[in-house]
Amino acid sequence: MGGRKPVKATIGLEIHVQLNTESKLFCSCTTEIDDLEPNTAVCPICLGYPGSKPKLNRKAVEHGITIGIALESRIKPVIRFSRKNYFYPDMSKNYQITQYEVPLAEGGYLMVGDHRVGITRVHIEEDPAKLVHVGGGITNARETLIDYNRAGVPLVEIVTEPDIESTEEARDFLKKLSLILEHLRVYDPSGEGSLRVDANVSIDGGNRVEVKNITGFRNVEKALNYEVVRQRSAVNMGLSIVRETRHFDAETGVTSTLRLKEQEEDYGYIAEPDLTQIHLSEELVGGLRASMPELPDQRIQRLVDQYGITRFQSDIIVNTGLRMSIFYEKCCELYPDSKTVANWLVTYLLKSLNYEGMSLEESSVAPETFTELLTMMDDGTISERLAKELIKDYVKTGKSPRKLVEEKNLALLPVDELRVVVGEVVSENQKAVDDYRSGKTKAAEYLIGQVLRRVRARAAANTVRELVLEALKGN
Amino acid sequence: MNSLKRAKELDQEYHFMNAFADSLDSGEGRLKGYTVSVKDNVCVKGVQSTAGSKVLEGYVPPFDATVIAKCRAEGASILGKTTQDEFGFGTFNVNTPFNKPLNPHDPERSTGGSSGGAACITAVADFPHLAISESTGGSISCPASWCGVVGVTPTYGRVSRWGLIDYANSLDKIGVMGKTVKEAALLLSVISGPDKYDSTVLDTPVPDYTELESVEELKVGVPKEYYGEGINSDVEKTIWSTLKKLESKGAKLIDVSLPHTKYALSSYYIIAMAEASTNLSKFSGLRYGLQEHIEGDFNQYFSKIRTLGFGDESKRRVMLGTFTRMAGYRDAYYLKALKVRTKVIEDFKHAFEAVDVLAAPTMPVVAPRFDEIEELEPIQHYMMDILTVAPNLAGIPMVSVPCGTSEDMPVGLHLMADHLQEHTMLRAAWEVENL
Repeated sequence: MGGRKPVKATIGLEIHVQLNTESKLFCSCTTEIDDLEPNTAVCPICLGYPGSKPKLNRKAVEHGITIGIALESRIKPVIRFSRKNYFYPDMSKNYQITQYEVPLAEGGYLMVGDHRVGITRVHIEEDPAKLVHVGGGITNARETLIDYNRAGVPLVEIVTEPDIESTEEARDFLKKLSLILEHLRVYDPSGEGSLRVDANVSIDGGNRVEVKNITGFRNVEKALNYEVVRQRSAVNMGLSIVRETRHFDAETGVTSTLRLKEQEEDYGYIAEPDLTQIHLSEELVGGLRASMPELPDQRIQRLVDQYGITRFQSDIIVNTGLRMSIFYEKCCELYPDSKTVANWLVTYLLKSLNYEGMSLEESSVAPETFTELLTMMDDGTISERLAKELIKDYVKTGKSPRKLVEEKNLALLPVDELRVVVGEVVSENQKAVDDYRSGKTKAAEYLIGQVLRRVRARAAANTVRELVLEALKGN
Repeated sequence: MNSLKRAKELDQEYHFMNAFADSLDSGEGRLKGYTVSVKDNVCVKGVQSTAGSKVLEGYVPPFDATVIAKCRAEGASILGKTTQDEFGFGTFNVNTPFNKPLNPHDPERSTGGSSGGAACITAVADFPHLAISESTGGSISCPASWCGVVGVTPTYGRVSRWGLIDYANSLDKIGVMGKTVKEAALLLSVISGPDKYDSTVLDTPVPDYTELESVEELKVGVPKEYYGEGINSDVEKTIWSTLKKLESKGAKLIDVSLPHTKYALSSYYIIAMAEASTNLSKFSGLRYGLQEHIEGDFNQYFSKIRTLGFGDESKRRVMLGTFTRMAGYRDAYYLKALKVRTKVIEDFKHAFEAVDVLAAPTMPVVAPRFDEIEELEPIQHYMMDILTVAPNLAGIPMVSVPCGTSEDMPVGLHLMADHLQEHTMLRAAWEVENL
């Protein structure tokens, strides 16, 4: 096997992202559904009751347009919806209201490193209900329950050209896209199933296989790796790749045949007659264009310019997520030295968060308490060495550094008290004192070490050094 | 005697209702003292609403259609649900597993459809009554004509469709029936106007349609395609005698042509069936209406519900409608039908440059007998709509107003007007009524 060398493939992605509007795409039910009892955020519209009619949520349209602008796509002047017809139990009406002939936006691209990945189209549509399979998977469940809370949540579908050349690039593309959407404030990356992907994969110009409904970045990489290796092995064994749709099982990490392309549904699209065509005004699109939030690449540059930090640091801060860069800037308001903040954030805070497996928002870390740690170092309350230790407890417990220092009695000793300790150590180690005086200056290091051991982290190393040298001279 | 009790007695004889409200509320307002019956496809909170289909048997809507809320706000008593062809699929009100109404003028004849129950009760009610009805391709005009009452189909978008169980959303219009033009105009004034629950409704202000007066120098267009071949000559004679009387009162009769009329029927049925076939998809026995024990996979269950729940005409329209929008046929049928629709609208727009209203027979024949209907092929059923589908396709308002008899059965004159010109149209109908 070729180790970690990227596996060559031709990949196109269809990405579905839940937009973070307050209400659903065609009714006023809430979209904050992650913690709700099943089937409680529902109404006659999202349940498809006879006589109900959809009513378009303009905010979702604006979110979609913003995404189109960020991806350099052409925004279409007219918004139209269609019915995509197929029977499936997660569909309350057995058709999905989506955009077919005319998407919200067409064309565009996203740069992944130096490689340009083309965007085919961006459109909005309604999410189906969620199926909960009991006693098995999609093919062998004993029974299937339907939760309509998700039915009607607005989705944006972003379709790429088959420009992606490896599974790693697919992952990087999705990370970057997710970061952009986060910066546009149209998407909450922490939501359950908020990003779902269908991937079209082929190798060596062979038949295209579609892998359906992969949730989350990690699974996309897993599913694509499995699929590319599967296709490669098949070709190596002289088998042909069949044009088909496959299902990815996140638990086993395996894709399996869902249906062959010849069995594909004919969706029989018609215009959605309950929604009128909307002509987008130049003011609306121009206004959204003018008020575009800062995108990740712009933000990286600005942090470098504004705070004098390195590009490497800015890159890490911004790519960690929008919340992290907002956190950084807040810290810079509270603490005078933005470079120190960046050093400590990138080197120690992120390391501890990673170690605990926590994201910033899952932890109780806050700008006020994080900068408190830096201030305590400056005013001599704690040593740098202690600060590095303390940050682990701080991330883990969420307690403020000052409180931790108080609780564990870790503050630096006043110089007078420290001088007493130094005096004791010097008088107890006459041999080392003699060695020092006979020219073996290294003996001082031994004494410093003894003092530090006795006071543990409650003294700064250079203060101890000064006091020990002072004592040796004095004697 | 109260109207609920009286309506139940009449229903024993004529079979026009599918469900009655438990009791009648009433209040203050423009409809105080009126009992309003509602076509079964318009949802009334708390009263079974089936749209004439077994697949919705037992379905009790959790909300009122906007038109019902407006009627209640004006003091109306909501009587219950009038029978209809299943989902509006029919011209004789015989395509339903529920009540099939009898024509008040001859019980061996059809009331017409699909709003047959609405026309029937409007004709026989001997208490103050108005009917909420609905038209997709002629379902108000046809039974109004055959039962001898006034039936008004408003401009598409004049009245909110929120709460209407869809047949073909781009064609469906809730309208009204009454014994007189003035009563129909009253109900239309109440139910028209903007509604935040229906995106397709127009926010144009609603005039008081009950202000009826003569129209000075009324210009009446006589479209040549609506006369002659295919129209019963005795019916046509009745129409002409009415037009001549109008002329003698000062109206001007003007010959006009609507050249795309011959394509309207095909275009109408393609669009209506394409939309209907998607609308009916939601009836799958999962959340409301007919339910069965779940066995096998979801496809088997959906098929079982739809096999049991839909009548033959519904199945026919689902199949035809699905065909017209399939890949490979979509361009030739569905998309072409949409283009023809534009042409039909242009015909009318052109005609209304020269005339206030167009006048034609509402139906080519008087109400047929049930034994005659049994002999008809589906295509002959569809041909009955030849005079009503074009204005429905164009979304223009129309009214059928009684104008005499043929074979002792009522004949209706069909008046059509430009979009949102209901007021002029109703004034012309009032003139006809007063001849």
